Amino acid sequence: MDVSFLLTQFISGLTMATLLFLVASGLTLIFGVGNVFNFAHGSFYMLGAYFGYQFVSVWSTNFWIALLLSGVCVGLFGMLAEFAFLRRIYGRANEGGFQILLTYAFILIIDDLVKLTWGAEYKSLPRPTGFGGAIQLGDLFIPAYNLLIIAIGVIVVVAAWWILSHTRPGQVARAAAVDREIVSVLGVNVPMTMTLVFGIATALGGMAGALAAPLRTVTPGAGIEVIIDSLIVVVLGGMGNFWGAWFGALLIGEVNAFAVAVVPQWATLFSFLVMVVVLIFKPEGLFAARKVRKV
Amino acid sequence: MKRNLCVCLAIVLGVLCALPMAVQAQEKVIRIGAMYPMTGRAGLYGIDSVAAAEMAVDEINGKGGANGYKIDITFTDSKAKPAYAVRVATRYITEDQVHFLFGIVSSGVGLAVTEISKQHKKIFIGTDHASTQLTSDKLQPYYFRVANNTFQSMAAGALYLQELQKSKPWKTIAYIGPDYAYGHDQWNELRFSLDRLGVKYQVVGEYWPKLFEPDYNSYVTSLVKDNPDILVTGFWGGDTVAFIKQAQVYGLFKKSLYFQPDAGGNYELMSAMGAELPAGLVLGARHYNNWPETELNRKFVADFHKRTGRYPTYAAEGAYAGVYAIAEAVKVVGNPDDTEALVKALEGLKIKLPEDPDGFTSYMDPATHQIMQVQAIGVTMPNTDFPPAKMMLGDWKIYKAEDIAPPPGYPNK
Repeated sequence: MDVSFLLTQFISGLTMATLLFLVASGLTLIFGVGNVFNFAHGSFYMLGAYFGYQFVSVWSTNFWIALLLSGVCVGLFGMLAEFAFLRRIYGRANEGGFQILLTYAFILIIDDLVKLTWGAEYKSLPRPTGFGGAIQLGDLFIPAYNLLIIAIGVIVVVAAWWILSHTRPGQVARAAAVDREIVSVLGVNVPMTMTLVFGIATALGGMAGALAAPLRTVTPGAGIEVIIDSLIVVVLGGMGNFWGAWFGALLIGEVNAFAVAVVPQWATLFSFLVMVVVLIFKPEGLFAARKVRKV
Repeated sequence: MKRNLCVCLAIVLGVLCALPMAVQAQEKVIRIGAMYPMTGRAGLYGIDSVAAAEMAVDEINGKGGANGYKIDITFTDSKAKPAYAVRVATRYITEDQVHFLFGIVSSGVGLAVTEISKQHKKIFIGTDHASTQLTSDKLQPYYFRVANNTFQSMAAGALYLQELQKSKPWKTIAYIGPDYAYGHDQWNELRFSLDRLGVKYQVVGEYWPKLFEPDYNSYVTSLVKDNPDILVTGFWGGDTVAFIKQAQVYGLFKKSLYFQPDAGGNYELMSAMGAELPAGLVLGARHYNNWPETELNRKFVADFHKRTGRYPTYAAEGAYAGVYAIAEAVKVVGNPDDTEALVKALEGLKIKLPEDPDGFTSYMDPATHQIMQVQAIGVTMPNTDFPPAKMMLGDWKIYKAEDIAPPPGYPNK
């Protein structure tokens, strides 16, 4: 295998990893702060892709503005879902069961809303102006849009890390993740914090959907396949661990890319194999602290 | 007095309850239990099938029904899940007492439902699923398919490639298709037909992404490295859209001929991609909106568009054909209750359908219960007659029904 092929394969893996991370980062943020597993996160990704289609292809909005607006619209939708439904089950016995039922209901509702609004036909978005071509590397090509996705992924990683560790809202969110009651006693409006976190996380999912739309098919049901891959990433990294999600996405993206190049007939097996190996040796995930069971 | 009033009320209630049953007993009805996916990735196929089947029902009932029998069709979301569809099919037979099971998009679901049909001796009309197994090694007496199977599409594909080799010599071939029965069947059937025709070729790559894979970048870069003369794909629906979108930027279609003879030419691709769809892709499907240019096809496409506001995918024509096939069989037998006579009638079915070119009428092969139809393969080129599509197929190559049928005994011989 020559170097140019290895590089293009690496960048292919990195593109997949970045899109996976952008979806998984929202999922992990909600789990990390609110201890909520948002089963419907893939549907918010799908909703973002449809908003992207509506803004760009129907209303001819500039792609970059459309990207931001898609994130904002999905974020508002997410905040509404949290405010109207999800917050009513916090602290209930068997909260996990209610979470699964409620967020699964979100999947069905969002899927039908999408079908009623945009129909069942597949939709497509063109790549933004200036990013439709590719950079030639020997005999091979690297699509400019893929490089853009990777760059946006890096910006989101750095921005999310900075917000969570260097700003007061970020610190409040992290504190709420550790103990909601203590934070509440200190005068922080915890319910509002949770709504905001849910909004930011779903906005990230929505932006990921709009960003992926020029590469993928915009269709009802598109959220299901991304939620499965994102779940693998989140579990691999350690549920709720931001850096874990980033590393998990990178691992899955690259393992998949090189498995396709080396053993194409068995490529799909490898991401599951990696998860199985990690879970056998580190069941809590690669970046999660080991829990000590007190007897 | 009070007692008399109670007796009167009981009689009136009894009469009211019995009245609908009496009316139903007199009504001449053909009951069809249809199953299609209405949600998720395959939802478009289900929604189009329902619209076209309802259109056929309205047309037939509007003309007085089949031999005086009105068609009553019930649709249930199959959820594309075999176990669920089996429960629905059983309910249709035991509770709703349907005369026919009908529909199914997924081959996996079709294979499950054909077992119920066999067990209850209830005729099952397959309208969209394409696995060759249903009309070969898994064939049972009560199953009939009114749309192409994958063997027919891939055999036509092999004939196309054989002809192409004479004008533009090609040597290497690669395949990428979904990693389940449908994808594997297509690849096996294409190679079977190429070998049968004596075509010489070398396989330089074989890739099996999962069904509904959203990201094909790594597969595309590997395919670019393989550099096949012919790139065969076995995708359907949104997977075709995603693959083409991702692959075209890598220059894959400049080096290799993109070839997708079964589901690639479905209108959903043209509708989704508009002007983004590259020219020069070689695609096939089981029905086209712009071929054949017959009055029947033009009417079918226009009526569907008038009814739904959009142009049909091929699934629609399959469902439309299925309802007409049932009506034809009932006309021959005289009633929908004599199942064995209906089986005989369907085995001898000859029916003019929208996808039939002039001079050809679709007919049922009595040995395999597979409808025999002409197959066309075309090339993407600019055409704005069916918006939002900006590209449609043209430069057609046509293959006779008899030339693309599986050989007797396939796949065992």
